[in-house]
Amino acid sequence: MMSLRWARLIAWKDLQVEFRSGGRLLAMIAFVVLACFLFALALDRSLVPARNVAASLAWLTILFAATTGAGRTFDTEEEDGAFRHLLLTPVSRHAIFLGKSAANLVLVWIVTILAFVALTSFLGVRDAGSIARHGAVLLPGTIGLAAVGTFFGLMSRHSSLGDTLLPVLTFPLLVPVIFFGATASGRVLTERPWAEISGSVRLLWAFAIGFVAVGSVLFRYLAEE
Amino acid sequence: MRLSARGLVCDYGPTRALDRVDLDAFGGSILAVFGPNGAGKTTLLRALSGERRPDAGDVTLNGAAVSGSDPAWRARVALVSHRTGLYRKLTVGENLAFFGALHGLATDPHAGFRALEEVEARDLADIPVEKLSRGQRQRAALARSLLHDPDVLFLDEPFTGLDPGGASTLEAMLQARREADTVVVLVTHDLERGLKLADRALVLRRGRRVLDTESSGREAEDLLPFFTAGGNRVE
Repeated sequence: MMSLRWARLIAWKDLQVEFRSGGRLLAMIAFVVLACFLFALALDRSLVPARNVAASLAWLTILFAATTGAGRTFDTEEEDGAFRHLLLTPVSRHAIFLGKSAANLVLVWIVTILAFVALTSFLGVRDAGSIARHGAVLLPGTIGLAAVGTFFGLMSRHSSLGDTLLPVLTFPLLVPVIFFGATASGRVLTERPWAEISGSVRLLWAFAIGFVAVGSVLFRYLAEE
Repeated sequence: MRLSARGLVCDYGPTRALDRVDLDAFGGSILAVFGPNGAGKTTLLRALSGERRPDAGDVTLNGAAVSGSDPAWRARVALVSHRTGLYRKLTVGENLAFFGALHGLATDPHAGFRALEEVEARDLADIPVEKLSRGQRQRAALARSLLHDPDVLFLDEPFTGLDPGGASTLEAMLQARREADTVVVLVTHDLERGLKLADRALVLRRGRRVLDTESSGREAEDLLPFFTAGGNRVE
């Protein structure tokens, strides 16, 4: 319970800092709007029905935007050496990981909603399917993205390659999340029965829980010298 | 209270930053650590505080081994460094409330104000850190370090950027900590001020302890030979 309380404090602090500075969120939002606009321009809708590709494009946009944001997860911690002081408090390392992942998750949700709204409107997709079902698919998928992004966000900070390293580390791990997420979202968009979607959602939850659990355990080895 | 290190070794790849360093720091006294750049002073502080696991050797408090992986140890230490460790977008009060809550002080809403009063900076509570001067930020960082009434206080170049008033507040705070039986380990380049404040002085050179002595009656000039070469004495 204590860990969850600490995680909530850290997440709230991260969000306060983020909403006051806005740099990371603005960069993610700008990326999403531009990417969706360019996808809409590049797609010849007379050849490819927009509804069939909107889900895949949305997931790719979310992946790139989440990676952009993850690269700056620890910027405010490093700015004046706050992370050193955070590590010197009695807070458990997995609480730090959970808190920072939760804050990342909120930002990823914001860009996820934006990506779906932007893509469906730019591509002219009407009746985009049940919002509840989209939520059921996106929730585990975005938890996985946020957890992986947070973990490797710190790892890339410790590397001389910096943010360049982040996509190289995260994309291979996130292939299953993108695959099952895009498949499930595509089926929600085309209003297929839940029985055809639930299998992918279960797998997305398995990946999300796995990423959070492994990240929580391994984070201390990254955070401590 | 007694903080001890025995045979501390820290390596960064092939470079030995600390080479079998022994020291004792006592509650109610201040140990000043001096040395030229690259002598291993900050590494020593990191090893003592538990931020860095030493490659060999032990750190003990009253004879019991301590480690950075132990939350109970982390709850008893505080650090002040030349980097403030505060979040610029939060106010000083919000920073103190955040760190206080992490130290289990969420139910004591006045802890932050008490700490700010101790460093004569109560008026800074509602100001975002980014709007403060360097010296004001350092005062806020000092307040953060006092929040949880630490048993062991590590200071790494804490006078950097402080105006004379801030430096005098810090000196008063260190005296108060001495009276409160806190173990204080101070790393500084300022020999005169360090010798004036400290009860004991330790000089490191190339990761080795080359002088460990009472500081009373010592002048900065007495320590300088140990920075370059030749000197090597433990009293």
